[in-house]
Amino acid sequence: MDLTLIQRTFPFFLEAAWITVQISVLALLLGFLVAIVLVAGRLSTVLTFRCLARLYISVFRGTPCLVQLFIIYFGGPQIGLELEPFAAGVIGLGLNIAAYMAESIRGAITNVDPGQEEASRSIGFGRGQTLWLITLPQAAKLMIRPLGVNAVALIKGSALVSTISVVELSYTAQRFISSTYKPFEIFMVSALLYIVMVYSVRFIVDYLDNRFAAR
Amino acid sequence: MLTKKLKSLIVASTVAAAALLSTSVVHADDLKSIQDSKEIRIAMSGQYSPFSFANEQNQIVGFDASISEALAERMGVKVKIITTPFDGIIAGLLAKKYDAIIASMTITPERQKAVDFVGPYYHAGRTIVVKDDSSIKSLDDLKDVVVGVTLGDAHDKWARARGNLKVRTYKGLPEMLVDLEAGRIDAIVMDSVPVLVAVKETGQKVRIITPPDSDGGIEGMGIALRKNNPELKATMQKALEDMLADGTYEKISMKWIGNDIR
Repeated sequence: MDLTLIQRTFPFFLEAAWITVQISVLALLLGFLVAIVLVAGRLSTVLTFRCLARLYISVFRGTPCLVQLFIIYFGGPQIGLELEPFAAGVIGLGLNIAAYMAESIRGAITNVDPGQEEASRSIGFGRGQTLWLITLPQAAKLMIRPLGVNAVALIKGSALVSTISVVELSYTAQRFISSTYKPFEIFMVSALLYIVMVYSVRFIVDYLDNRFAAR
Repeated sequence: MLTKKLKSLIVASTVAAAALLSTSVVHADDLKSIQDSKEIRIAMSGQYSPFSFANEQNQIVGFDASISEALAERMGVKVKIITTPFDGIIAGLLAKKYDAIIASMTITPERQKAVDFVGPYYHAGRTIVVKDDSSIKSLDDLKDVVVGVTLGDAHDKWARARGNLKVRTYKGLPEMLVDLEAGRIDAIVMDSVPVLVAVKETGQKVRIITPPDSDGGIEGMGIALRKNNPELKATMQKALEDMLADGTYEKISMKWIGNDIR
């Protein structure tokens, strides 16, 4: 175990982990926005919207994220989509996680007791009002944990962008391994940093969950 | 394993699609856009010591990096080195993510269908590495064993073409050396220089088998460019020849490799 190697290279691992954090946070934001649109589609009364949302979700959940990243990054230029690796990574991961987040959100909404909606509608609230005032506040609590699981999956999955030349935590590790020939030390450092990130998400999720439970 | 196969398949099909498209489009020579932006973007893996690797300041250095800098200097532009995994490096070139590949890439007929080459800018021979107590003594013993190769390189093709080897592909040499030591593979097949540098560094007990010329095949490494760029190709070829003639090349080669590998 070469501890001085870890010491010498650690600042670069922190920089790389920061790239991983940035890419994950931006992809989560994009994913959340797209997920809202997808949920609206899934719960829409218009058949076409329902079908489109379903199609999106099954395509993005049914193909590997790696393939999606390759299509966006390597295939993009052929349809005039010239993206920097970082941007391609955010878009690829974001569009992918959106499909999973949409199902988490929809699951939470449909898990709210249907009696709540019936009662709301019977006393004269409209469909939108019912969703906004009655269903969503109750669903919010139910979606925190599933969305947290999505976020953790995204952070770990962000290692995939190393294949499209984003020099994040995993690619930095691989680069150092090839010059130091010390895979054990280097992978341990990167694993440790991933754990720190994942636990940060868990901490936030626990906090939010407690807040909502207290109400 | 599956994802690697899948990945190479996807990369291969992207390459094919891109090649198909790029030949049908008439475009200006890349040389002009490089001169306009005063910057040439050059790709390498950054995982191939001593040709391209991250030093402890996390900068990409090595033979390929120095050659890139010297070429750019002669062309009067700045160099931007981009690190990208080797198995997708041609796909990235065709997708215009960078202007050239200087990544110790063997010039092969298959690759020449997709890209143009400047060079060769160095030559290397094939080496077979085994544990020092291995029963494999010569190339003739290399059959019905598991060999490790770098995914998508020329030795990968060579090992598969022999037909009597079980081939396992890796991202890079360090993982192969670990697996050789652990007994997961019986031999490594790759270029001689990186192996020699690596075992000197790690002190790992290995034996080097140099195959006879017929199978050692001294191979030429080229600088890959997108097709239909005659001006860029001529400019880089001239810059390379000037470097070879005036001693710049020899200095770089001595610095990183310890001998002249032209």
